[in-house]
Formats: sequence, C-alpha cells, structure tokens
Amino acid sequence: MIGKNRRKLIAASAVIAAGSMLLAAAPAQAAEQGVTGSTIKLGITIPMTGIASPGYNKIPGAMKAYFNYVNANGGVNGRKITLVVKDDQYIPTLAVAKANELILKDKVFALIGTLGTASTKAISRSAQLSARGIPALFVNTGFSGFADKKAYPTSFSLLPSYQMEAKVIGKYLDDNYAGKKIGLIYQDDDFGVDALNGFKQAGINFAVKIPYASGSQGVAGVAGTWITKLQAAAPDVVILFGVSSATAAALGNAYAYKYSPKWILGSVGGDATTIAAAKKELPYFMAGAKGLSFAPAPTDSSDEYIKMFMDVNATYNKGVTFDNNVVAGMTSAFLAVQAIKSAGVNLTRKGLIAAIEKNSASFANPGLTPLGYSATSHVGATGYWIGTYDATGALKPDGGKYTVYTTDSGTGAVVLSTYKRPAMPAKGLPN
Amino acid sequence: MHKLKSNNLLRLIGFVVFGFFLFYLSNAIDELRVYQGATVAMYVVAISSIILLTGYSGQVSLGHGALLAVGGYGAALLRNNLHAPVWLSFAGAVLVAALFGSLLGVTAARLSGPYLAGTTLALAVGLPSIANQFKFLGGEQGLIFDIGLPPASLGETFSQYKWFFWIAALTALIAMWWLQNLLRSRYGRTWRAVRTQSVAAELAGINTARSKVLAFTVSAGLAGLAGALLSMTISTVSPSAFPLSLSFALATGAVLSGVTTLGGVMIGAVTLVAIPEIADAFTQRIGASENVTANLPGLMVSGLLIVVVLFVPNGPVEQFRNRRKK
Repeated sequence: MIGKNRRKLIAASAVIAAGSMLLAAAPAQAAEQGVTGSTIKLGITIPMTGIASPGYNKIPGAMKAYFNYVNANGGVNGRKITLVVKDDQYIPTLAVAKANELILKDKVFALIGTLGTASTKAISRSAQLSARGIPALFVNTGFSGFADKKAYPTSFSLLPSYQMEAKVIGKYLDDNYAGKKIGLIYQDDDFGVDALNGFKQAGINFAVKIPYASGSQGVAGVAGTWITKLQAAAPDVVILFGVSSATAAALGNAYAYKYSPKWILGSVGGDATTIAAAKKELPYFMAGAKGLSFAPAPTDSSDEYIKMFMDVNATYNKGVTFDNNVVAGMTSAFLAVQAIKSAGVNLTRKGLIAAIEKNSASFANPGLTPLGYSATSHVGATGYWIGTYDATGALKPDGGKYTVYTTDSGTGAVVLSTYKRPAMPAKGLPN
Repeated sequence: MHKLKSNNLLRLIGFVVFGFFLFYLSNAIDELRVYQGATVAMYVVAISSIILLTGYSGQVSLGHGALLAVGGYGAALLRNNLHAPVWLSFAGAVLVAALFGSLLGVTAARLSGPYLAGTTLALAVGLPSIANQFKFLGGEQGLIFDIGLPPASLGETFSQYKWFFWIAALTALIAMWWLQNLLRSRYGRTWRAVRTQSVAAELAGINTARSKVLAFTVSAGLAGLAGALLSMTISTVSPSAFPLSLSFALATGAVLSGVTTLGGVMIGAVTLVAIPEIADAFTQRIGASENVTANLPGLMVSGLLIVVVLFVPNGPVEQFRNRRKK
C-alpha cells in the first residue's frame, strides 16, 4: 500500500508546484514593455552580497541617486526612471534567473550595468537578449567580445577593452621607459589574452611574464612565488594586470619582501578600496605607482561632473562615501539618461539602440575619451589617462592635468587625445 | 507476483499522466514560470541524486555541486567539439559524471560520516576552479552550451524557455521513473540493507564496499544529468555556476524533501525555486532595505531547515506515511 500513498504524495507535490506557478498573472502590455507615458523601468542584476560584492554593491545606489535627481527635476522627455535591483552574488545561474525576473516579471524596458563576463554572457545567451531586442546598457566588463556587434547586437560596454588598455600602457612604456626591463603579472584567461594581444601590438618585450590562474591568487604561498620570480629577473617596471584581489596579493607580498619596483596597475585591479582592505599599509607602500582611468578622478572636485555627482550623492545617496564605484554608477546612469533622451518621446528598444549607435558623439558624458559607439562597434570609452596614486590610494592626474591617450581594439595606433569633452548640460540634467 | 506487475503498470501510467499534466501546464502558464519549471526539473534530478546516495545508501555528500560541474562541462564539450545532438550530450554528461563518481566512490567507500562529508566538501570547493587551469575548459568565463532553437515545426511563438522546460521535464520524468524502479530492485534493497545495518548485510552475503561504490556511481550519473540541465538553462557552463552554495542548497533541498524517500523530491525542488521569490514579494510589499532583501532568502531557507529537522526529521512524506500506518 505504500505505493499508493506515494502516488498520492507525488500528485500532491505536483499540485503544490502547479499552484505556486499559477500565482502570478501577466498584466496587459503597453506599446513597449517597461515604458508608460510617465515612467521608464530599468533593471540591474549585480553582486550585492558575496565575495565579489564589496565596492560593486555601491553601483546600483549611485545609479538610483542620479535617476532620482533627474526625476525630481522633471525626468527625461517627461518620464521618470525607476531602477529595479536584483542580487546575483556573482553566480551566473542566479544572474540568469534574476535577469529573467527583471524581463518577464518586473517587465523592465532595458537591462543596465550587469557585472562580470561569465554572468553577462550567460544572461545574453539564455535570456535571448538579441532575439528579443532587449538592450543591455553599459555592461561592466572590458571583455572585447561584447564589442562585437554581431555576437551581442543589443549589448553596449562602457569600459574600454582590455586590449586598448594594454596598448595604452605599451605607449606609456615606450615614451617613458624605453630600453628598460619590464615585468608582467596577468590572469591566464580571456582577460589576460586580450591584454597580451594589446602588449604585442605595442611591441613590448617582457623580461619576465607571470601568468596566474583565476582564483589561485588566494592560495597560500602563490603570490609569494610571483615576487621571488620578479626579484630574480629584476625588472625596472612591473605591470599588475589582474583583478583587485590578485593585485592586492602581489602588493602585499612585495611589501613583506620589501620589494619595490616601479608599479603600473591595470584599471581592473587598481581599486584602492579593495587593496586597502587587504592591508591598510598598502596604499602608502604603493604610493607613486601608475594607474589608468577614463573617468575624471573621484577626488577632483574641480571637474564639473565630479562636483555635480558629489552634490547628488550628498542629497540622494546619504551616508555613502563618494569613490570610484559611485562615479562608475553615476556615469552609467548619466549616459543612460542621455541615450534615452536622444531616443525621443516615442521610446522603443530599437530606437534606443539606434540612438546610441548614431548619436553618441553628441552625448554629454563625464568620460575624458570620445565615445566609440557606432553601427559596427559597441565599445564606449576609447582610451585612458595615466596618473599616479598618492599615499591615500587616490589616483591623481600628473601635474593636475589629464593626459589622455586614445586608440581602438584593433591595430590602430595609440595617440594623444585632442578630444574636448562637451560642456556639461546645465545642472547635469537632460535638457 | 501479479500484484507487483499491476503496481508497476499503475506507476507507469501515473508518470505518463503527470507528463501530460506538465505538458498542459507549459501551455497555460507565463514564460517566467515555464523557465522556473525547467529549474525545478533540474533540482528534482539533482536532489534525487542526493537522496539516493544519502537516504538509500547512507553516504553523505556535501559536494554535489562538483559532480554537477563534471556533467555540465562534459555536455558542453561534447556539444561544442563533436557537435553531438542534445540527447547525446546529456547521455555523455551522465557517463562522464558516473565514471568520475565511480573513482570517487572507491575512495568514499573507505570513508564514512564526517570524513566523507569533509572530502566531498573539499571537492566542491576545489573542482570547479580546475577549469581555470586548462584552456579548453574556457577559464573563468567558461564555455557556451547552446542547445539550439526549438524545432520550427512547433511554431513561431514557441519560446526557448518552453523548449528548455520540455527537455528538462521529460528528462526528469524519465530519470525518476528509472530511479524509482531501480530503488525497488535488488540493488535498492541491497543499498538499504547496507545503510541500516552494514554488518548484518555483510553476513547476508552482500559486498558492502561494492554496493557503496555502485550507489556513488549512479548518484554521480544523476548529478551529471542535473549539471547538463543546469548548463542548458543558462546556456553556458563556468566555474562560478557551481559555487559551494549550490551544493548546500541541494543538501538542504534533500532534507526538506525527506532524505529517506524519493516521494517528496518535488517539495525540495519547488521550495528552492519558490523561496527567493516569496522573499522578494515580501520585501517589496513591506518596502524593506536592500540588506534585508539580499539576506532574507538565506534566512528563510535556514529557518525552514531548522523547523524540518526539529519537527519532521525524515521529511514530510515519511511523516505522513508513518501517521497513516499507525
């Protein structure tokens, strides 16, 4: 008789399953999902908890702060923007589940700022962003694949590609350290491969190249061997082209070994907040190191955008320390507002994508490099300025002046940028 | 003998009817539910794999995520490099994971209790990051696992998620049908005998070590199948898709389902998918802060786990059955 009961129970659990699935009914759709006469709904899934969350979990709050500032001043084309935030813990499975919720349940108009290459790839594929024509604005990864319009026709990245970054570093080395011995620590996957391609194009020969597998930087003793190898090869300049935890591990061991060459920190790993969290002496130890950014320095209150962002942060994001993550979030939000405004009153997904491809040259934005969006490329910023870290870990332009290099992800040369950023619209509002 | 046969037939009919019910359901519910349904089917297979191992053969695994990873990578490699059809890549995932499980089972048969739990836990921590060491496994970003669009004959409005759901639900139904038959067979009885009283089982002529290795192998094969399903629903496979938290979620699902019986496996699977949503709806209603939103699902799962262990230690199904017997 056990069998009979079991059948009943299977049936019972099936009913529970079915019941829970039927709970939500789909509301009637407007002309374009997520847009009404007075609102626009955007969605973001990002690690709010878990190992990758520190720093990044400030991005959605910063975005909301800027959107609320715009909303309080009339919105964009008369519409107010809301942002739905989901936590994916940096796990692709969760990222896909959350993206599906955003698209199918919260009915967002577009995704914005998804973070991490694996998660962003998984979302794009599984949620069929291109087949459904859902825009994925300003994904937070420099993986050059997302620049490929054919493979990811609705995704836009804001960060320059890793290849561009390597080419810019190569140019800097050529100009300042010609004939010197160069060392490199890099991550042994697509991230590092993109970079190696860039360095090769720049014609850099390394005296020592140390690859590390992603995750191995956390294994006891591993980062120590990097420093031993570096000491043996004795390069004059060492480039740390890894994630923040690897950069912190390398610097931490160098500190312990009292080893201090001239450091150059890649933009991904050069997050002083993470480095200082690993060891509080490190920002002081690495003072004088070189770093890269495409946005103005968060400490530079003489920059009109930074000044405006600081004010917005103080009013709409109370109690949150203003840093590079806040700048990153607000920059994405600012650009999204510009793009939405440019797409016009009859806002559609297609129209938004077309507006970014066609009109980005005229978008106001805080970045110090030209925006590279076009009908063939979906990479935003096209270069970097190189500056110096001070003893507090803040990256500052040398001599108070941003020297910006610009290039492409292909074989193009690296040139000093003559780009004049368009003036900020009054009060940083879309008008 | 006759009765046994008719019981088998009834069970088969039950499965087929349930299959038709799911088919009907897939047309009646919206796309998000269909997608979640595919995830439920994946959890059903994964949790049944743990129930088989722990409930029937008495071995503990806290690292099933690693076995799912083996299956997921196996399926993706077969599909990407040999252009295997979907069913073959799933079969390949089962075989690769079973092979891996048999090797692991040989080690596991020498360990028991906390030692075995610790070993499997270490595996869950270490194994997925091996993908970072080899180029053909795609590093941190992993590999694409694309099962392709649904056949055109199903019509233009047939969504990808429905296709995922059909494949996952059919796979789960077949796997469950096969598994419940296996558990009723000599092997199932042998496993239970070893779990309940290994010395007595040995005296009765059962080779306990071999029986344990076999259980581990079958369990790993099922886990591999779940891994392939998981990779299908996210169209990719990468180390970060198999975190430690996945292994814990599966173990939790098994306990909620009732670890000694397959009958409640849907309970655990549905709970794992439903809880984050319930938590979300709740926090939205009361307008809670982001901190609460982020941590509530974990709190709810843990709370439920404690309640279940305290009040229905063998799971709700076993409890219900015992009540009926009295």
